[in-house]
Amino acid sequence: MKRIIPIMLFLVFLTLPLFAAGQPEEEGPISITFWTHEDPNRTVLEERYIQEFEASHPDVTIERVTNSSKKMPELLLTAFAANEGPHIFNTQIEDGYAYIVNGRVAPVNLKSAGYASTSALNAAYVDGVLDSVTEGGDVYGLPLELTNWSPYLNKRVFRDAGLDPEKDYPRTWEDIVEISEKIVLREGDIITRRGFDFRYPYYLVSMVPMVEQLGGKLVSDDGKTAIIGDDAWLTFLEFMADWGPNGNNLGSPIYKNGRKLFNADNNDMGMCLSGLYQAGRIRSDNQEFYDSGDWMVIPFPQFENAVNNVASAYYGHYYMVNSQKPEREQKVAWEFISFMLSHSEEYLTEVGLIQPTKALMSSETFKSIPYANVFADDLAKGHIVYYAENSAKIQELIKEAVEGVMLSGIAPEKALASLKVKAQEVLDQQ
Amino acid sequence: MRKKYSGIEKKLSRWGWYFVTPSLLFFVLFSFYPILNAGYTSLFRKKILSLKAPDFLGFDNYKYLLSSTDFWNSIRATFVFTIGTFIPLVISSLLLAVLIMNLRKGKKFLQLAYYSPAVLSSVVASVIWMTIFDPRGIANQWLNIIMRTPGIDHLWLSNSFMVQFSTILVYFWKYIGYFVVIFIAGLASIPSSLYEAARIDGAVPRQIFWRITLPLLKPTVLLVSIMSMLQCLKTFSTQYLFVQSGSPQAPINVITLNIYNTGIRDHLIGRASAMSILLFVIMLFFTWLQFKGSKADEVSY
Repeated sequence: MKRIIPIMLFLVFLTLPLFAAGQPEEEGPISITFWTHEDPNRTVLEERYIQEFEASHPDVTIERVTNSSKKMPELLLTAFAANEGPHIFNTQIEDGYAYIVNGRVAPVNLKSAGYASTSALNAAYVDGVLDSVTEGGDVYGLPLELTNWSPYLNKRVFRDAGLDPEKDYPRTWEDIVEISEKIVLREGDIITRRGFDFRYPYYLVSMVPMVEQLGGKLVSDDGKTAIIGDDAWLTFLEFMADWGPNGNNLGSPIYKNGRKLFNADNNDMGMCLSGLYQAGRIRSDNQEFYDSGDWMVIPFPQFENAVNNVASAYYGHYYMVNSQKPEREQKVAWEFISFMLSHSEEYLTEVGLIQPTKALMSSETFKSIPYANVFADDLAKGHIVYYAENSAKIQELIKEAVEGVMLSGIAPEKALASLKVKAQEVLDQQ
Repeated sequence: MRKKYSGIEKKLSRWGWYFVTPSLLFFVLFSFYPILNAGYTSLFRKKILSLKAPDFLGFDNYKYLLSSTDFWNSIRATFVFTIGTFIPLVISSLLLAVLIMNLRKGKKFLQLAYYSPAVLSSVVASVIWMTIFDPRGIANQWLNIIMRTPGIDHLWLSNSFMVQFSTILVYFWKYIGYFVVIFIAGLASIPSSLYEAARIDGAVPRQIFWRITLPLLKPTVLLVSIMSMLQCLKTFSTQYLFVQSGSPQAPINVITLNIYNTGIRDHLIGRASAMSILLFVIMLFFTWLQFKGSKADEVSY
C-alpha cells in the first residue's frame, strides 16, 4: 500500500500536461515577440512605434529583440526548428523563402494590415516587389526594405591619389581596376589603402550581376540548368583572379570589409559597395565626413564589353508572421507591422531604408534624399536576387569558385567546371 | 551463482548509485538520446523547417555521403587537422611537463602561464588569432623581422596551406597548457623511489626518461592522446570563424563545419545527422584503436 501512493501520485503528475494544453485564450493580454537585426538608427524609430502602438492597444505588449544580421538566420532557424519562433521577424528573401514554402509563415491578414484585397496590396507597392513573397495568390511578407548596392566614393582619397572624383570616377569594371591601381598603397605585398572593396560574402547580390552583364546566367529560364554561359563566367572568374593577391593584389576577402572603414574616412578606402542606408550610417559614425560632402555615390559599373546593362541585384528584408501562433496574435502582429510600415518616409529619412511603395518612390521626400536617384536608376536596371530553398548553398558554391581562383591559385577553367557540376547537383536535388 | 552482499556493502552500493545517477541521467539525456535521435533522423529526408512527415530513405543519406567529394574533402581536412595538431600537442606537452617538473623555481607560474589560454573560449581565442593573422597583424610583422623579408604577406588566412596551418596553431596554443597540467599530474604520481634507485644504479637523465618516466606514464599518455584526438576530431569554432571572416572554406571544411552547413545553411538535417553518425563511428574506432594499441593497463608501480 505504501508503494502504491507514490506511484499513483507520479501518474497524476504525468497527466498534468494534458490539462495544461487547453484551448487558446481568446481574450486577455497579448504578448508579441519581434525579432529583427541590429540597426541603431532603426531601433530608435521602432522603439517609439512600439510605445505608440502599446498606448493605443493597452492589452498588447511587444518585446523587440535584436541580433546581428549575420546571426539572425541561424537563430531564427533553430527557433523555428523547435517550434518556438517569434511572432514577427524579418529576414532576407534568400533565407525567408524557405519559411514560405514550408508553411512556417502566415499570409498577410489583409484586414489587419489595412488592405481591402490582395490586388489593393499589390497595387500599393512597386510592380514585382511582392512577387518573391507571393505563393498561391497569397502574400506572405511586407517589405521592411528593398536594397540595392552602388559604389560609395571617398573624394578625399581620390584627390590624394591625384584623381578628380567628379571626372575620373569609374564607369566600368576595367576603370575600377585602373583607378584602384592608382589609389592602392602597399607596404611590400600588404595593402594599406584599397581603391575598391567587393562585398565578398554576398556573391548573389553583387557578383552574379557582373556575370549577367557579360551574357551569363546563374540558372536557366526554365530553372533546370545551372551556370549558363561559360565564356561569361570564365571572364568573370579571370577578372576576380587578377583582382586577388596572386594577381594585381588589389584586395581580398581577408581584409576588413570596406564599408566599415569607409565611414571612418581614414584614407584607407577609396570605394565600397553599399546601399542607401550607408549614408545614414556615415552620418551616425562620422558627422564631419557626412557634412563635408566629400563622398558620393556612383552607378554600378559595367564591363566594357557588356552585352546587358545590369546593376546589382536587389534584396528585400520582409516582415513575416509566424503561422504557428494563434490567429488572434497573428492579427495583432500584422496590425503592428502595418503600423510600423505606415511611417515609410521616416524609415527613409532617418534610417535610409527604401520601403518600395509607389507613394514613397514618387514622393518629394524620396527625390530629396542625396543620391536616391542613383539607387533608383540602378534599381531599374537590376532584378531581385536569386532566391530558392537552395540559394545559400548556391552562394556558397560561387564563393568557393571565386575564392579558389583568388586565393588558392585554382585555374578559372577548373573552378568553373567544378562550380557547374556542383551547382547542377544542387538544382537536381531540389 | 549470484553474490550475496552484506548490509554495509548494500548501503555503500546504494550510495554509489545515488552519486552516479545524476551524471548518468545527464549523459542519457544530453548525449545518448541525441546520438540515437541522430541515428534515427539520418534515415530520413528531413528538412529542418518542414512540417511534413519526412520521407524514409533507409541508408541513402550514407550512400550519398560516401560518394560525395565534398564529404571526402571534409574527412581529409579533419584528418590533416587532427594529425597536424594532436601529435605535436602530445609530444610537446609531455616534453614541457618534464621540463617544468625538473625546474627548481617557477613551476607554478609556468603551469599557470601555459594553462591560461585553455580558460578562454574557442571563439575568443580565434578572434585574437585572426587579429594576429591579419595581413597587417603581428604574425606577418614578426615573421618578416625574423626572416628578414620586409613587406611579405604570408597569407595566413587565405592561402590553402597556410590557413590549415593557422587553425592548427590556434588549437595548439589553446590546448597545450591543459595537457601539460595533466602530464604534470601523471609525472607527480610516479614514486620518487624509482628515480632514486635508477640514479644509484648510474642511470643518466635520458635513460631515466625512456626507461622509467615514459613507460610509467603510459596511462597518462593514453588519456592525453585520446582526449586531444577527440578534441581535434570535434574542432569547429576556429574553422567556422575563419571562414566567416573570409578564409577559403574547402581547405578547412572539417566534418563538424560540414555538418553545420548541411543542417543549418542547407536545412538538410537528415543528411547532417548521417554525417554526425559517421563522425561518431570514426571517433569510436580511433579511441578503440588507441586503447587496443597501448595496453596501458599493464602499468603498475
